[in-house]
Amino acid sequence: MSTKTELQQLSSKSKSSILAKLKAQVSGADYSKLPVEMAYEYPELSHQQQLELFTNNLTANHAQVINTSKESIERIVAEELSKRNLNKILIGTNSEYKDGLSAQLEVQEYDFDLQQNKPYLFNEVAASLSTSLCSIAQTGTIVLWPDENEPRTLSLVPPVHFVIVDAQKLYPSFSDVLVKQKWQQNMPTNIVFISGPSKTADIQQTLAYGAHGPKELVVLLINV
Amino acid sequence: MLNIHEQESKYAESARKFRKNVDRDLANQELRSNFRGAMDYLMDKRKTAFPEQDELETLRRQAQLIKQRCLLKLPHLLEELEQNLTKNGIHVHWAETPAQANEMIAQLIASKKGKTVVKGKSMVSEETALNDYLEQRDIECLESDMGEFIVQLAKEHPSHIIMPAIHQNKKQVADLFSGNINDFEHTTDVDALIQQGRKTLREKFCNADVGISGVNFAVAETGTLCLVENEGNGRMCTTVPDLHIAITGIEKVVEHMADIPPLLSLLTRSATGQIISTYFNMISSPRKKGEKDGPEEVHLVLLDNGRSQAFADDELRQTLQCIRCGTCMNHCPVYTRIGGHAYGTVYPGPIGKIVSPHMLGLEATSNLPTASSLCGACGEVCPVKIPIPKLLLRLRKESVKPESQQPVIMKGQGSGRTTLEASIWKAWSLVHKVPALYRLSMFMVTRFRFLIPNKLGGWTSVRTAPKPAARTLHERLRERK
Repeated sequence: MSTKTELQQLSSKSKSSILAKLKAQVSGADYSKLPVEMAYEYPELSHQQQLELFTNNLTANHAQVINTSKESIERIVAEELSKRNLNKILIGTNSEYKDGLSAQLEVQEYDFDLQQNKPYLFNEVAASLSTSLCSIAQTGTIVLWPDENEPRTLSLVPPVHFVIVDAQKLYPSFSDVLVKQKWQQNMPTNIVFISGPSKTADIQQTLAYGAHGPKELVVLLINV
Repeated sequence: MLNIHEQESKYAESARKFRKNVDRDLANQELRSNFRGAMDYLMDKRKTAFPEQDELETLRRQAQLIKQRCLLKLPHLLEELEQNLTKNGIHVHWAETPAQANEMIAQLIASKKGKTVVKGKSMVSEETALNDYLEQRDIECLESDMGEFIVQLAKEHPSHIIMPAIHQNKKQVADLFSGNINDFEHTTDVDALIQQGRKTLREKFCNADVGISGVNFAVAETGTLCLVENEGNGRMCTTVPDLHIAITGIEKVVEHMADIPPLLSLLTRSATGQIISTYFNMISSPRKKGEKDGPEEVHLVLLDNGRSQAFADDELRQTLQCIRCGTCMNHCPVYTRIGGHAYGTVYPGPIGKIVSPHMLGLEATSNLPTASSLCGACGEVCPVKIPIPKLLLRLRKESVKPESQQPVIMKGQGSGRTTLEASIWKAWSLVHKVPALYRLSMFMVTRFRFLIPNKLGGWTSVRTAPKPAARTLHERLRERK
């Protein structure tokens, strides 16, 4: 096998060669004369219409959407878990819902490093709760911006994922989110869009849920 | 001195057998019915996903212009991408050939003493035949996309770029699982089959040292790798193992984050008729200090593999606009009948016919551009408006152009040229240029028409032999005067 240094040299040689070939073709290109890229103008929707679209899209994708108030979150999570014969939930650290949930459920905080705790997360955690950054009506999408408190695997590995969505942070489309929130200026480690539970149609075009990620996505939509 | 063994791609060999493969697969009734069912389903799904023609056409035009702009700026965007990825802590490697890419990936895995790899869906890693390469080095590389997992168990290749196991039905999958997975209770229930896959693969995600993924879009301005998927295996591969290696073609870079929404919308709706995939995953750095999961190291391997050849010609460059949605195969009457394996290449169907000649050379692939009725469906549905039928004609021309004719645009130029065919066309053109010759030949054809044999090879296998008229049209018109 080649050594690391040899491969670095090879990579930089390949880089020069590829770039030289490409540059030879477009060196004189005039970028000021590019044609105008027209975007499609979607009809404007009221907040109520957007909420409906958001909910319908998510429901069509097999997610469960529950309209609720901020105060009822803990109660609803406990109720939904007990319907599934569960009484434990994994949540992020520094969660404002910790105390309310602890009163009714066995709560575990994601206060560990994944590396040493993979078997625990994969085999013992049945449900998790996370918050979200914002959401998108046009596609029924929930935007998660994982961080130290709510790691990436919190919304991925447990079979049931509860996610709290604030109806006030609903945007019409992905493009609108970029215009308003300007992510381009400072991207986090990871952003993930979730639009339903994990699924696949890889066997004879038959939809099956719970391929590798959560089998169930329960959306707690704070709407009052 | 670096000793990277450059050998001819195994796909070149299988592409050469195209005609044989077609005969084999056309005769397979089960295969044909699997493809027919799947293509009807996918065409229907796409149709429902674009209810407004006006929206579809505006989006297609916008996406075409976005990709053309990004290609015009490609070398600069690649440099910007590398700069921003590096700033974010992601390492970038450049490979001109599949062999180089494989060697780089093997070296990265070895540096972590990795033994087990989980891979999310990546067609570029199929180009490099990465699984075979790693297997030879005693590294287990397990496909984790359900379709790819099935294909790997069956020791096959994907027959469709979006739905890799589309050639198999649930009964075949059940039999495959029975033969390969211990404790599997035979069932043709799709939910149960998927749950079996989930169980097997979750163990692997939990224990793998390395995750490998493809990339759907790489954003230059932010240094971000975007992955589109439904299953969650892509997120697993890019989040759970300590080392994440992404591999992609150099044409996948876009300039701005704002370029993504229209491309993403067209990609998922064209591919599977979904308004969006279940997950859209944007990765901009390895795990930062204080974060509790995510890989410690992230690498991106940028692969050329013939793309710069397509780039060098204004018309052929449009090949690189492709966002790999697969809708051209879903709508192709040839693909639907012969299936994905007959092509023998990584990318089957219309896009495969225009991209494979750049990767494998025209010598191995000169049959592919001819396997089209030029009905135009592929070009009509392409979300980035690649004029596929036009490019097929162009490739046909390149493959019969004299080898010596300058400039040489493609590897294998002229390899489809035969002396017989070339002489026939030369004679044809001469006859049509010289009036006396034309009249003489018409005289001969009409008077000696009884000499035309009844059997004319492939032509008469499903048709009667053509029979010229007794008099030419010119003659008959003259007689009327």
